[in-house]
Amino acid sequence: MTDLEDLWDDLPVGPAPVDRILRAGRAVAPASTSARRRRAPGWLRPLGSVGALAALGGAFLVGVQVAGGPADPGEPPAAGSGSGTGAEPVVFSGRLVAAGSCEVLLEHYRDRAAQLVGPYGWEGHDRDQGLRTAVPVEELADATNLSRAYGAAPVTQSATSSETGTNVQEAGVDEPDVVKTDGTTLWRVDGDVLTASDVSGEQVEQLAELDLGEAPGVEDLTGVEILLTGDTVVALGRVEDGGQERTLVLSVDAADPAAPTVQHVLDVDSGLVTARLHGSTVRLVTAAGLPDLPFVAPDARGSSRSITEAQEENEDLVARTAIDDWLPTASLDGGEPRRLADCGEVAVPRSELGLDTVSVLGFDAGTADPLASLADVDVTSLAAATTIAYASAEHLYLAAATPDRGWVGECWDTSACVAPAPSPEAAGRTQLFDFALTGTGADYVGSGEVDGLVADRWAMDEQDGVLRLAVGASSRTGNFNSVLTLRREGDELVEVGRLDRLGVNEQIESVRWFEGLAIVVTFRQVDPLYTVDLTDPAAPTLLGELKIPGFSEYLHPLGSRRLIGIGQGPVGPRGAWGAQAALFKVRDLTAPRRLSVVGYAPGTEALAGADPRQFTWLPEQRVALTVVARGSRGRTGWVSALRVDDGTLSNRMVVAEYGTDVDAVRLVPLPDGRVVLSTPSEGSFFAV
Amino acid sequence: MEHEAEFAAYADGAWGTLVRSAVFLGCTLPDAEDLVQTTLVKAYAAWSRVRSADNRDAYVYRMLVNALRDSHRRPWRRERSTDRLPEGAVPDGTAAVDTADAVHRALAGLSTAHRDVVVLRYFAQLTEAQTALALGVPAGTVKSRLSRALAQLSTDRHLTGSLPGGHEATGDHRD
Repeated sequence: MTDLEDLWDDLPVGPAPVDRILRAGRAVAPASTSARRRRAPGWLRPLGSVGALAALGGAFLVGVQVAGGPADPGEPPAAGSGSGTGAEPVVFSGRLVAAGSCEVLLEHYRDRAAQLVGPYGWEGHDRDQGLRTAVPVEELADATNLSRAYGAAPVTQSATSSETGTNVQEAGVDEPDVVKTDGTTLWRVDGDVLTASDVSGEQVEQLAELDLGEAPGVEDLTGVEILLTGDTVVALGRVEDGGQERTLVLSVDAADPAAPTVQHVLDVDSGLVTARLHGSTVRLVTAAGLPDLPFVAPDARGSSRSITEAQEENEDLVARTAIDDWLPTASLDGGEPRRLADCGEVAVPRSELGLDTVSVLGFDAGTADPLASLADVDVTSLAAATTIAYASAEHLYLAAATPDRGWVGECWDTSACVAPAPSPEAAGRTQLFDFALTGTGADYVGSGEVDGLVADRWAMDEQDGVLRLAVGASSRTGNFNSVLTLRREGDELVEVGRLDRLGVNEQIESVRWFEGLAIVVTFRQVDPLYTVDLTDPAAPTLLGELKIPGFSEYLHPLGSRRLIGIGQGPVGPRGAWGAQAALFKVRDLTAPRRLSVVGYAPGTEALAGADPRQFTWLPEQRVALTVVARGSRGRTGWVSALRVDDGTLSNRMVVAEYGTDVDAVRLVPLPDGRVVLSTPSEGSFFAV
Repeated sequence: MEHEAEFAAYADGAWGTLVRSAVFLGCTLPDAEDLVQTTLVKAYAAWSRVRSADNRDAYVYRMLVNALRDSHRRPWRRERSTDRLPEGAVPDGTAAVDTADAVHRALAGLSTAHRDVVVLRYFAQLTEAQTALALGVPAGTVKSRLSRALAQLSTDRHLTGSLPGGHEATGDHRD
């Protein structure tokens, strides 16, 4: 009786008391099968009363809530007026077609939306979860962390932090973070306050504080992260507005770190999916979500409006939507909201993907006055829900991975979940859309489709025009993972090579891409680490395999011979589980070996596994800095300084922060070799 | 009426898995049965909404999990593992107690968050997305918690060697 599955079967569960449940249910819901939900705020309430539940005669719980936060119907989106924002016309082909006209586009939206509307409004989606809320892909997807570096093939090569001090996926493509530096000034965000500090002296000296929340038109800014280029800080934040999410982009003149000033505020009525910085070009990917229509609901007493009538009224609302209900808008410095893209610039996928409008916005933050005009913002839009965005130096790929059953993407918080059951033809596949990055634009150049599911942006990599993918199993694949290579022919992404049977019955935990190499970690009970030769994209070849206890969630190459894996495994007596760090020898890729392992205390978590920005490799000192935490209430975060010394890892732990602030701890390398320990409350030098 | 028959069929079919899930989530068997009854009454009241959703199971499991979270019936509201028996599992003389105790002991090393994911995804066999919806967390979180929890359990003698292949594979959705 020690086997859980036997216990599951052995539980002596009696037959379902269906009659009693029905009696009690009728007492709770007098109008029989109709739910008593109303769209009015505060429908969050116990569905049953004490008396009704008492009818069951059992010891019932009362006051149980059905769902999360209160519904908060916002205003319908402002109908933007005026023309587009000056984006060049794009030509769509292959799996994407240009809408051509507003009529065609509106028809697409209405048709798809008609499948989603029910007697209470949008179906398949919990209304109070925020219809237009998009969660950044990274937040959702970093359960598996993959990364890449350039190098001679097939060999690993050292990866170091970006110029602004962030450990990023792609060399040369910077990612937003809560702290950035140019080597002299450290810019840090705490809440909506931007702090500048001088890090050129012996101490970290605070120079200025700028309350971004006090800029005109800025209120309730959350989740702020920054990009830094030249003399400009670009701050990206979210605003929750009646259950809908907006994205604010603030350009901050940082030429004088002692007196930073907000120059412009771009307000986009879409959720932020992700952002990247190529040179001085800022690119945002946003998702508009579905319009918040004034839906009706059936009257529970059945007197004034039946379910059928409510369904019809709601369908009618959808059928009467205007194109401006659907297209995202933006306003600059409190001006009139204008359409981000004109109808002709919005592409419609041929496959039935989730309903949403994803836009790629680009602008140059290196000009004298960035964001001075909406005309400076390049826009490409796609009338579909894509769940994954990956940017290499020259390409942006949007991907929609459609699981096998009625779900599209990461469903809980994103607008993607309003998607209807996927068409049978999309299920179990991943659609890919390839955009070439030129100037501030993102031009659609091709698309493709693969069987199986791409987990997140880290499972994608572009090298010399070849798109490499680590693909997990679906109903369309075998019970294993694969590495695929695709090349663009015309406007089609065509598979040119594949390696199957990586981790049979296992799931991908991490991948690191190199010029002619992929290192893939899968997991079930042990951690196989696979090395895959990609020097010939047409013939990916398995080079070697290493099985060890535990698994790596984040892999960081130290050079051509060593790799650090941050993950978890058995670290204590009796197999107690906790964070671990391991040093791998990968000089001979056919026989990778684990040289040394550091086990942290049972119950610890290595946070770089979920957010690689909490990992810093210092090549000069040969020290890796990473953040380890334990506990959820009473949480402590340590900096673990891992010294790599001739095949062994030695560890030193320094308490850095407590509570949820642990997630914002960063270790920022400066060009002079020193390291700043940045927490929400302060920056200080960290003695390596 | 038609919907009522449909609900009855659903309740009948879902009952066993719901009750087992509630036990695995920490209830005694009698409490689990009460809790599932309450949950199904609520599902009935919201049936037109529940039935039209693709995510019917996710809905119902979410109600169950919320009911459990709001109740004080889950004996292990602590996060850390313990060698002691959960205090809620006081012997009451019924045959089910031993089984429930054994379940609770076997799962005592998991945090509540990990246990929720294992029970819904692995034992109740919801899909990853359904589990995410039921627990109100992103699907990525379900994935990472599941892999951690299964990893932890796999080092535990209670499950060693018993993990059937494929359940935890990325794309292994039900059906």
